[in-house]
Amino acid sequence: MAEAIYDALGQVLTRWTMGSAAAPVAQVWKAEIGEDPVEAELRLLALSGQFLGMAVIAEPPADLRAWPDLPALALPTLPDALRPLARRVLAAGDGRHKRNLAQFVAGRGWTLHPADWMPAASEDEAPDVYAPWRDWIEAAASGSGPTGGAPESLTTANWENILPAARNAALSDLRRRDPGAARSLLETMLPGEGADIRLRLLGQLAQGLSEADAPLLESLAANDRAPKVKALAASLLARLGRGSAVGEEAAELAGFFTLGTKGLLRRSRTIWANVLKTPAQRMRRQTLFAGTDYSSFAAALGMSGEELAAIWGWGGDAQADIELAAMAERSAPDAIVADLATALAENNLPNLGPLRALAPRIGPTQRAAIAQRVLHGKGSYQDALAVAGPGGRVQGVIDVPAEAALLRALGGADARPGDHAPELLALGMLATRAGAQKALDRLVRGAGLLQADPRLDMLRLNAALEDRGVQG
Amino acid sequence: MLEVVRALGDWVAIDLGRIEALATDQASLKAAAGLAKPGKWSGVGGSVDGALIWGECAGSGANPYRVMADLRDLGNKCTCPSRKFPCKHVLALLWLNAEAVVAFPPGEIPGWVSDWLGRRRGAGAVPGGAAARPASDAPKDLRAAQSAEADAPDDPKAAARREASAAKRLEETERAILDGLDALEQWIGDQLRLGLAAFIDDATARCRRIAARLVDGKAAALAGRIDELPARLLGQPAGDRPRAAVVELGKLVLLARAFRAAPRDADIRRAVASSETRETILASGDTVRVIGLWEVLVEQVQTRRDGLVSQTTWLLNLEPEGPRFAMLLDYYPASAGRRTSAFTPGERFRGEVAFFPGRNPLRALLLQRAADGADTRDWPEPAPDLAEALTAPLHAEPWVLDIPLLLPRGRVAIDAAGQGWWRSADATMALPLAEGVEGLIRGTELTRAAALWSGNRLAILAARTPWGRIGADG
Repeated sequence: MAEAIYDALGQVLTRWTMGSAAAPVAQVWKAEIGEDPVEAELRLLALSGQFLGMAVIAEPPADLRAWPDLPALALPTLPDALRPLARRVLAAGDGRHKRNLAQFVAGRGWTLHPADWMPAASEDEAPDVYAPWRDWIEAAASGSGPTGGAPESLTTANWENILPAARNAALSDLRRRDPGAARSLLETMLPGEGADIRLRLLGQLAQGLSEADAPLLESLAANDRAPKVKALAASLLARLGRGSAVGEEAAELAGFFTLGTKGLLRRSRTIWANVLKTPAQRMRRQTLFAGTDYSSFAAALGMSGEELAAIWGWGGDAQADIELAAMAERSAPDAIVADLATALAENNLPNLGPLRALAPRIGPTQRAAIAQRVLHGKGSYQDALAVAGPGGRVQGVIDVPAEAALLRALGGADARPGDHAPELLALGMLATRAGAQKALDRLVRGAGLLQADPRLDMLRLNAALEDRGVQG
Repeated sequence: MLEVVRALGDWVAIDLGRIEALATDQASLKAAAGLAKPGKWSGVGGSVDGALIWGECAGSGANPYRVMADLRDLGNKCTCPSRKFPCKHVLALLWLNAEAVVAFPPGEIPGWVSDWLGRRRGAGAVPGGAAARPASDAPKDLRAAQSAEADAPDDPKAAARREASAAKRLEETERAILDGLDALEQWIGDQLRLGLAAFIDDATARCRRIAARLVDGKAAALAGRIDELPARLLGQPAGDRPRAAVVELGKLVLLARAFRAAPRDADIRRAVASSETRETILASGDTVRVIGLWEVLVEQVQTRRDGLVSQTTWLLNLEPEGPRFAMLLDYYPASAGRRTSAFTPGERFRGEVAFFPGRNPLRALLLQRAADGADTRDWPEPAPDLAEALTAPLHAEPWVLDIPLLLPRGRVAIDAAGQGWWRSADATMALPLAEGVEGLIRGTELTRAAALWSGNRLAILAARTPWGRIGADG
């Protein structure tokens, strides 16, 4: 009977869709719907609707495919008790903010729960610990089958079996443990990869870069098919002091600056940016900075890289400061980057752009130290966070001008309930666990904030989250 | 008169004068007087520093109202739909505090209070500012409000008059509804005659017109349902819409016929006209009351075309017996702004739920509750026959739109077109999923899942997994 009804309904639906009476073709229900044409259509509609709603369920296609299980990560997920706090912090910001929290949590030896946050497959800036999830998303979406767990060690034999994000994380780990083995592996495997992947993999050599990497880099700088890979290899070579010779562009860039002396008793050399008269000049200088390596620029000015770092007149031209820092981040040797970072921290610049540009090349310890200097100067917690990153490892976040300013602002007569949320969030991401607890006490007792004030969520999460001693 | 005072680092309660000043009018105070009684409240508490107080007050809705106040500036919030600010529930909470009618034990601040604090950002709730200013200069008197609370003596003649008048109103209403249903059937016939393809293309405008006619005909519930019909249709893949239109319109015919046959049937009347009041439900001998452990599955908030916002909370009964699901449904005007959630998905509480009388008890009122996060028992076993569970409610009420289900072990699978399916672990059943199944739920076994079946799509509300309990959004 059901078969007959089902067969008849095809015609019934077609007729109704087009606006024709369907009762004449519903012989199977002839007795039930009666003779009256109007009533018959309504009865047929009621019967058809109930039959379709109850007895007809779509058949699954034969190609149904279940995604593989989401892999467990190397670090545990946050304790359940802290997940509501983490969810509230996650909800308070954009993608970068969410990655910051993921990084903070990873630094403490935890991961976010996948129901609360998962990185996108393309989210290269997500902490390495999330690589298996990124690969899972990519593999599941593309139907490329189950994802394997991270291998003990990356080798040429298992290279193809590991998905990109996990492979990148494994390569990073190998480079940290055995730089030579990572280089050899790259030497063998790079030619078989696409340009974007080559670029990403080559970036791993920045970690622990040494003279031993020079032959590979020289080969890539000379022979790779992709201009971006060539440029990255050249930048890495420049970091080793093997920059290109002074060319026309470096000389042209040097022409935008003037060398002179300063001081009355102790005369010392300095360099300042010439005043730019047109936007075209500014654009040209910016292009030259982006295409020249640091050592070549210093040589074009007739000095060593160290000397340039020592005499650069910070604060004279904010844009030039940022462009020099970006150039150094890309192509200056480690020692010079460290000199520049120290000089920047000592200068207490109102504009933190140069420090931010340089930050990827500064180690976490020095970044934390610089962040402390920023806080002891006139910098805010947000400034310090921009430098240190959300590692939750900066000591001495209280008894600094930033704290006094914050307490003053929060306790002011015109304070509003939502004020200074970004500053409190930054404090929460910077502080150590003990520092977060102290800061909470001060804010509750000193500024009269409620313990449950949502602006304190990040600090509360920080103070409650056990530090499992893992660096993110 | 005492002011709000901070002493030794703690905030202390306010005095009655402040409450009088805060009230919008004497009527609010009078209403608050009726609520400022311990029996009306549960979950009363305060922050350790004494600055915040909160509590839950039984109201006319399905959910108790969550009421909270910040004693520093008398900022306040209540989940009731009242347009008065502050509402009677807030005034009553402050009253309870000022007069120490009940104890406000200090404790951990609930998430819903924290959420409210978060949303106060930039709201202008400045200490000593707008929130603390008297709402009206008209004279108000708490004591007078209290004295006016005395019940009026029963008057048998007046009661008889009220009863006769109510019966007459009921008759008039039924007549109007039946006229409305005639118009509805004629309209349905027109849609068939003009073609369902054209109906689907113009569903919003056409449904709006007949819905307005039904509102005039006092069939408000049916009108609301028809107003939402286009959204349900358009939520289907284009190829499924003619079929979905037949199912939707067919259910309307069945409902109209059912009302004609039994206009006083509670289930049918609720689906066509309006729901019984809280008082009627509580007084009815047919009301099923269930005391037990409940888990909040999800809270769905939807702005409807008729200007109302529906707030639906799905509860799972964790006890072995009794109705498996309870649906708490409240409506409030969209113009009243966003309401604070009454629940947090996943929270468990021990409470008493009163089900509206019916063939498949589902819609319910929450009478009282007490948090019980300590009971970590697993979800109950699903019904042994899933196919039967999908259709059984439709035998009793063929016009029902959504059927809540507890699904056995299974997981999400995807077809070549990207359509998600829930598939049982033994592969004997696969049901197509509604859109929006992303993230973790695609990559884990669902040891149990609670879902809504709408006849051709399954919407997962929450699930138990090796990763713990997860909601539909991941």
